[in-house]
Amino acid sequence: MEKKELLHIGRQWFRREGWEPFPFQLKAWEYYLDGYSGLVNAPTGTGKTYSLAIPILLEGITSLPPAPSKGGGKGSVEAGRGLFAIWITPIRALTKEIQSSIQQAADDLGLNWQVAIRSGDTKTSERRKQKKNPPQVLITTPESLHLLLSNKGYSQYFRHLRAIVVDEWHELLGSKRGVQMELALSRLKGMLPWLKVWGISATIGNMEEALAVLLGNTLETGRFKVVRAEVPKQIEIESILPDEIERFPWAGHLGIKLLEKVLPILEQSQSTLIFTNTRAQCEIWYQNLLEIAPGLAGAIAMHHGSIARELRDWVEDALHQGILKAVVCTSSLDLGVDFRPVESIIQIGSPKGIARFMQRAGRSGHQPGALSKIYFVPAHSLELIEAAALRRAIKAGELESRIPYIRSFDVLLQYLVTLAVSEGFRPEEIYGEVKGTYSFSSMTEDEWAWCLDFITTGGQSLEVYDEYKKVIVEDGLYKVVSRRTAMRHRLQVGTIVGDVSMTIKYLNGKRIGTIEEWFIAQLRPGDVFWFAGRSLELVRIKDMTVQVKRSNKKTGKIPSWLGGRMPLSSQLSSSLRFKMAQLSRRDLTDVELQKLQPLIELQGRRSHVPGEGEFLIEYFRSREGYHLVFYPYEGRFVHEGMGALIAYRISRLQPISFSIAMNDYGFELLSDSEIPIEEALEKELFSVENLSLDIQASINAAEMARRRFRDIASIAGLIFRGYPGKQKKDRHLQSSSQLFFEVFNDYEPNNLLLLQAFDEVMSFQLEEARLRAALKRIQGQRIVLSRPERATPFAFPIIVDRLRERMSSEKLEDRIRKMKLQLIRD
Amino acid sequence: MKPQAENNGIAKVAVAGETLLLHPFKAAFWEARGILFLADLHLGKAAHFRQGGLAVPAQVGHANRDRLASLLLALQPRRVIFLGDLFHSNYNQEWEAFCRLMEQFRTVGFELVIGNHDILPEDHYQSANLKIHREALEIFPFLLSHHPLKEAPPALYNLAGHIHPCVYLKGNGRQRARLACFYFGERGGILPAFGAFTGMAAVKPREGERAFVIAGDEVLEV
Repeated sequence: MEKKELLHIGRQWFRREGWEPFPFQLKAWEYYLDGYSGLVNAPTGTGKTYSLAIPILLEGITSLPPAPSKGGGKGSVEAGRGLFAIWITPIRALTKEIQSSIQQAADDLGLNWQVAIRSGDTKTSERRKQKKNPPQVLITTPESLHLLLSNKGYSQYFRHLRAIVVDEWHELLGSKRGVQMELALSRLKGMLPWLKVWGISATIGNMEEALAVLLGNTLETGRFKVVRAEVPKQIEIESILPDEIERFPWAGHLGIKLLEKVLPILEQSQSTLIFTNTRAQCEIWYQNLLEIAPGLAGAIAMHHGSIARELRDWVEDALHQGILKAVVCTSSLDLGVDFRPVESIIQIGSPKGIARFMQRAGRSGHQPGALSKIYFVPAHSLELIEAAALRRAIKAGELESRIPYIRSFDVLLQYLVTLAVSEGFRPEEIYGEVKGTYSFSSMTEDEWAWCLDFITTGGQSLEVYDEYKKVIVEDGLYKVVSRRTAMRHRLQVGTIVGDVSMTIKYLNGKRIGTIEEWFIAQLRPGDVFWFAGRSLELVRIKDMTVQVKRSNKKTGKIPSWLGGRMPLSSQLSSSLRFKMAQLSRRDLTDVELQKLQPLIELQGRRSHVPGEGEFLIEYFRSREGYHLVFYPYEGRFVHEGMGALIAYRISRLQPISFSIAMNDYGFELLSDSEIPIEEALEKELFSVENLSLDIQASINAAEMARRRFRDIASIAGLIFRGYPGKQKKDRHLQSSSQLFFEVFNDYEPNNLLLLQAFDEVMSFQLEEARLRAALKRIQGQRIVLSRPERATPFAFPIIVDRLRERMSSEKLEDRIRKMKLQLIRD
Repeated sequence: MKPQAENNGIAKVAVAGETLLLHPFKAAFWEARGILFLADLHLGKAAHFRQGGLAVPAQVGHANRDRLASLLLALQPRRVIFLGDLFHSNYNQEWEAFCRLMEQFRTVGFELVIGNHDILPEDHYQSANLKIHREALEIFPFLLSHHPLKEAPPALYNLAGHIHPCVYLKGNGRQRARLACFYFGERGGILPAFGAFTGMAAVKPREGERAFVIAGDEVLEV
């Protein structure tokens, strides 16, 4: 059949549905049918699924032999039929909607096709069925795709594959799941040279890079196209303003003070999503809402990543049906299917990024061209500036980039074992494929050899009596023969590493969710805590299960979950500095800036309000010690690195110890002794010379790398979690990533995983490039050293931060001797 | 009763009327009787992990034995008593390496108070000339065990391991540090874990209890 004819069939199907294809959809259809790979750049809710699902089906019409009549040959694999296309989506919640869309179109087009889902939720029996009799379109996740690669006979299974679509590619890109995707694609392309690889991505700051990462070495062939959907989206931001800024807290992150002002919004809207930044904040908001408005009981719900899937599904269904007035949620509802009844969005506290804020705003007003309204609730006074900064950035179309992970050897090691577990691999074949990915294009042959060594000998030349066992080499084929190793590996495929978490269940066995072990460790039986909006009494802990019963007590601990604190993005930071400069010259064009004026005047009286071209440093003394506060407005991570760097540079002048606190606006160095700041400023404190060396020398790099290493060790398969039913026997294999970090540091400093941890710290944690740019900017500014009598409105939110880093140039032994460090007693 | 830092970073502590030397290699030496106490060596742990396909550097095992040998050479004990968890799990080749080390110190009597990890068959200990104590061992005024004993006879002072103790230190300007320690309470003391790759658990000494941290090359009371 001619392409023209096929396009006509597609268009006709659209018309029968009462639609007209968008130009970008038509373009994508054509390019696909011409055999190109590529990227469709379209936001959610614009028909992006059909931009690629339709041409796949159209290709199906031409290339498949007519299907046998229904009922005949049940269960048998017919010649020429098989898996035709794979559709990757990052979240399971989206799979159902995509499946029904594609299945319906396939049916209407007269294809006797099966569109199936395979995810972590898919039952074993269903998986077995899929294996024996593959569907024509499989909707799955990167993890499940890797699990398919860990099955014997995968090359047979994939042999008819024509296309693979990676949906929401922007979501995968900035994570190790992106690397996982790149590696799977490299294998599929290696086996199937004709394979068409397509991505679908929302607009991000680095579209070109997104394309390069997706396509890898296909880019060199020139056989690719980029299709853009031009669908404008209107966003209106309204801040919830405190009545009197003077009485609104200077610090905090809960935003609970403005709770009552949120109620009218809930009343006006059919349904509202309330986005919080952490799960603990989510619990607190939910509870407080019910307290001031008991009438909402039964009409509001909460949704976050630790709540059991069944409960979350219920909430999502209820949202669909419009029976919920509001849902308090976290980023767990950033993505996913559209909830049509949702009319209003509320963001509590800083959203940290422009794209995330827009994404959340877009969860209301789904009709193309409709206005999305989002309310911003500041958690502390200064945060009001962010609303102004967001408004400006959105108008200017400034969006964040998603920085891809490169050289993630942990993911590569996992992938190599995956291949060894299934059909085995030959390095000469796989090396080229891996080199062809964006992530590993800079990998050297030595590094590749190290990886092979790591999985076969444990990373070291074999000693006579060494008993390392994992992957063995037979006639040049690298494979896993031990069934135990294979089973364990399959259980650990994936790059999302959670904390050690325990399941919470009622005594009758009903699951409520998961909670981190360290939180439960603080509780005793009889203690009450809040979870998923319920007051629960701890009954007992059995194996890895926390058994609870309902409690009537109104007070209880609220769990907090570690991690997950995102830094302010580079783009939002820069917009924030723009608004700060506006404040300093009292150019109060935004209502938020007007509201902040009294606070700015106070800052001016106590210290100084830096104008454009000025950089403020405040130095003052309190009972806690000597505080030195800097305001680069560059986000928490950059401040963490800059704080360590500045502390290190000062500590070279004299032996001194600091603790370092930071938030997204600035950082504080706190010391028990006078800080020689004037002397330090004369010595080029912000110089970029020797920057890398100085960062390495500041102790934080090792500490940060240690934290990063947790995920790396787990992904690379170093952390053993035991397998179901066998926990006891293998208890002696349990350890923490910390211990691995220490022994690698001590005995194997060239271990690539260890080096990777330091690399990740440099690019993601310290954001070295951003840090360097920030230092250069500060060097060009006039430094204003102010000595306020006490903490200023600017300083306050920073110095109350409890998460602190440390830096010292005094010897540990000396600090203990001088009683500077004292024992924490019970 | 401030301890004096001696040569080699050793600290002295007086318990139950006796003096113990606390060595920065995480060992306690009862000089008067020539007895060296060590807890939680977890030998063979690296090899056990490697057998399981978890790539712990094999040098961890060497390092443990090197530190043990240098202690034996420096302190010249007559007896060495391991307070449990000498060997991490099932037999592997690191046991042979440990036996060869013991053979080089034939004049020293090696003894083991069995801990929860010590699951090797009896004949392994016998053929290595390692004397085994299934129950707590009394050497007046000390009572030696693996798990710290809740109820020891009042006349005896319990020395134990198992906990892998460490303490948190804090200072002005919100300084913090976490260090392995020796820990001495009223009725008993706990030794730090000797083995590398073994981890630590925090303890909070109460008033009247003493803690000696391993800070770099020195043992210091805090």
